[in-house]
Amino acid sequence: MSMHKCGLFYTTYAREDGLFPSKFQKTCLALFFAVLLACPQFLDSYVMSILNLILIAVIGAVSLNLLTGVCGQMSLGHGAFVGVGAYGAAVLSNLGIPFFLALLGGGAVAAMIGMVFGIPSLRLKGIYLAISTLAAQLILEYVFLHAGSLTGGANGLPVDAPEIMGYSFDTDSKIFYLILLVTVLCVLVVTNVIRTRPGRAFVAIRDYHQSAENVGVNLFAFKLQAFGLSSFLAGIAGGLWAHYTMYITPEQFSMGLSISYLAMIIIGGMGSVLGSIFGAIFITLLPEMLNLLTTSLGGIAPDLSAIIVPMKEGVFGLMLVLFLIFEPEGLARKWRLTKAYWKLFPFAY
Amino acid sequence: MKKLLVLTVLALVASISTASAAYKVGLLSDLTGPTSSVGAPYADGIKAYVAWLNDNGGIAGEPVELIQVDYAYNVQQALAAYKRFTSSGIVAMQGWGTGDTEALVKFVAKDHIPVFSASYSAHLMDPAKAPYNFTAAPDYSTQGRAGLKYLRESWKEARAPKLAFVFPDNPYGSVPIPAMKEFATELGFEIVGQENVDLKAIDATPQLLSLKKVEPDFVWTGGTTPSTAVIMKDAQKLGMTCTFLTNIWSSDENIFKLAGDAANGHFGLQGGVIYGQDVPGMKIIRELTKDQPQMTHYVRGFVSAMVMCEGMKMAKAGGEVTGESIKAALETMRDFDPQGLAPAISYFADDHRPNLSVNITAFTDGKLEFVKTETLERKKEWLGH
Repeated sequence: MSMHKCGLFYTTYAREDGLFPSKFQKTCLALFFAVLLACPQFLDSYVMSILNLILIAVIGAVSLNLLTGVCGQMSLGHGAFVGVGAYGAAVLSNLGIPFFLALLGGGAVAAMIGMVFGIPSLRLKGIYLAISTLAAQLILEYVFLHAGSLTGGANGLPVDAPEIMGYSFDTDSKIFYLILLVTVLCVLVVTNVIRTRPGRAFVAIRDYHQSAENVGVNLFAFKLQAFGLSSFLAGIAGGLWAHYTMYITPEQFSMGLSISYLAMIIIGGMGSVLGSIFGAIFITLLPEMLNLLTTSLGGIAPDLSAIIVPMKEGVFGLMLVLFLIFEPEGLARKWRLTKAYWKLFPFAY
Repeated sequence: MKKLLVLTVLALVASISTASAAYKVGLLSDLTGPTSSVGAPYADGIKAYVAWLNDNGGIAGEPVELIQVDYAYNVQQALAAYKRFTSSGIVAMQGWGTGDTEALVKFVAKDHIPVFSASYSAHLMDPAKAPYNFTAAPDYSTQGRAGLKYLRESWKEARAPKLAFVFPDNPYGSVPIPAMKEFATELGFEIVGQENVDLKAIDATPQLLSLKKVEPDFVWTGGTTPSTAVIMKDAQKLGMTCTFLTNIWSSDENIFKLAGDAANGHFGLQGGVIYGQDVPGMKIIRELTKDQPQMTHYVRGFVSAMVMCEGMKMAKAGGEVTGESIKAALETMRDFDPQGLAPAISYFADDHRPNLSVNITAFTDGKLEFVKTETLERKKEWLGH
């Protein structure tokens, strides 16, 4: 359901096709960014670090949503692609290559590896493809651990904080601007890709591959493109993660990371860019909220806290299940319904 | 629903407003994640010592306030927890696993926060790479070397003892293997094989069948207690006669619950004493726990907090207690005796290995028994390897 304000008449196709067709939307977005840009001035490093983690998660989730939600290609290996980007960017950075080039280089390596593991997607679909990407996850984890001369192996790989023109982004507040910039670019890229010819081809493949082929979509080429672009963006997320944490080890890019990205796009809304953002925020914040709650309960009722702490993972799982039952189309749909409610208020139609 | 929301908000506000003037210390624990079975008793040990210290004068009259966060063994959550700690103004931190300790190495160095973790990876003991990282037990490689030394000394036959390694193929499992292999060769062991058994394995028969063919006298295991129990039970089933040497996380009081009598006759390595062992510090632990036996991890957590607080006391004696002053004080610590609960601890500005002494324990009739403390020479070339 897409609703615009009454009286919004387009005179050109380009305007109708605009990302933000109304002035109200543009103003809201400008205000949102103004607040976001001001955040480092009045928030402490804890909240800033959460914001940074959310932004990196947004890139990972948006990129997976492009592959899984838009193109219909299941992936359980996204965490490993993030890892490839992280190691790629870290190695390049350690060789003295400037930050942005290293970041792009990490993304490029991830894209190549992603496309290699995307090759089986011509023959495999659904759960079969999921298992084949799971194999990618296992193989890449093995490489991270055993290619010691390149990745540091079990000892991990230290990386320096990003430095541009001699200015070091070594605090949460400073690096926030950098991560925000890259995240906005990545989100814009995905949003626009969905509106282009390849994007429509992705959707056609997701909806029914045979029909797509019948109307002239080259399945293999477009599936590979989806894997390539998705892995590239995942690699960018990895590169940012590596430069942010300044120390990467194989454990950071485990199966758990892949699953958490999947959870983000399912909770947020499959195939929706906005949904990926909501999902990334939700999944990153939920453990923090549960932690805050259990810590605060510990201060008020220590006995109760002792019972609740072990239940934390269970509560996390329960939240996911309840979400899937009551809002299977994710937070993106909830957002649309909320907007519609206010637009139609007080009438229900 | 509204009531629940109001309660939640109230709880959050209460949590933010409970600030005090104590020395704040972050406690990063795994209470709900994959290592929670050992993470929880370790954290209990830390909390018990800090509670005892606060009841007994604190740091020159000032209490230590622990801020505990359960990060469920997730690096991202560990990072957020660390930022929460630094925003609260901590002067030191008690960490936990390898992944999170490594991920925080550069942050703690930049923020000058000394960290005592339970990750004993050798590279974390090298101040050149991890200047603010400390541990209360020697590194995995040193532990392994000490265990091998003990086995070699107790070997009476004329031929060279045959040794095999079983470990999970992950950073934690594989990190000490090259160092141990090198030392084993030096000691005159014959290395006959190595196998990988996953931490979540429920069967190790295929791996043990190949080991059975090479007839090892000793088998090193570096996993967790459940995976070691699987290995021991399968070895017993296959009629293997080898003796197992298990690393610090591969065996504890639960080994008998999981492996039964298959654990009998094998050895384990520990960084602290066993509950009830006759050392001065055990009196405090027995009082605090009302004579309820605790796992060896509890004792190690207790010691870790004790050493950290000793560093804080030393820093206080020299002036202000800050992360930097605690680090500087710790680096002057020489042969600090944690009341017998662990071997004496010394740190140096260029060497953060607490000691090179490891407690050997034997598994006999359902109980862990202290055998001896094996001590190695503090060799420079072993630092970080």
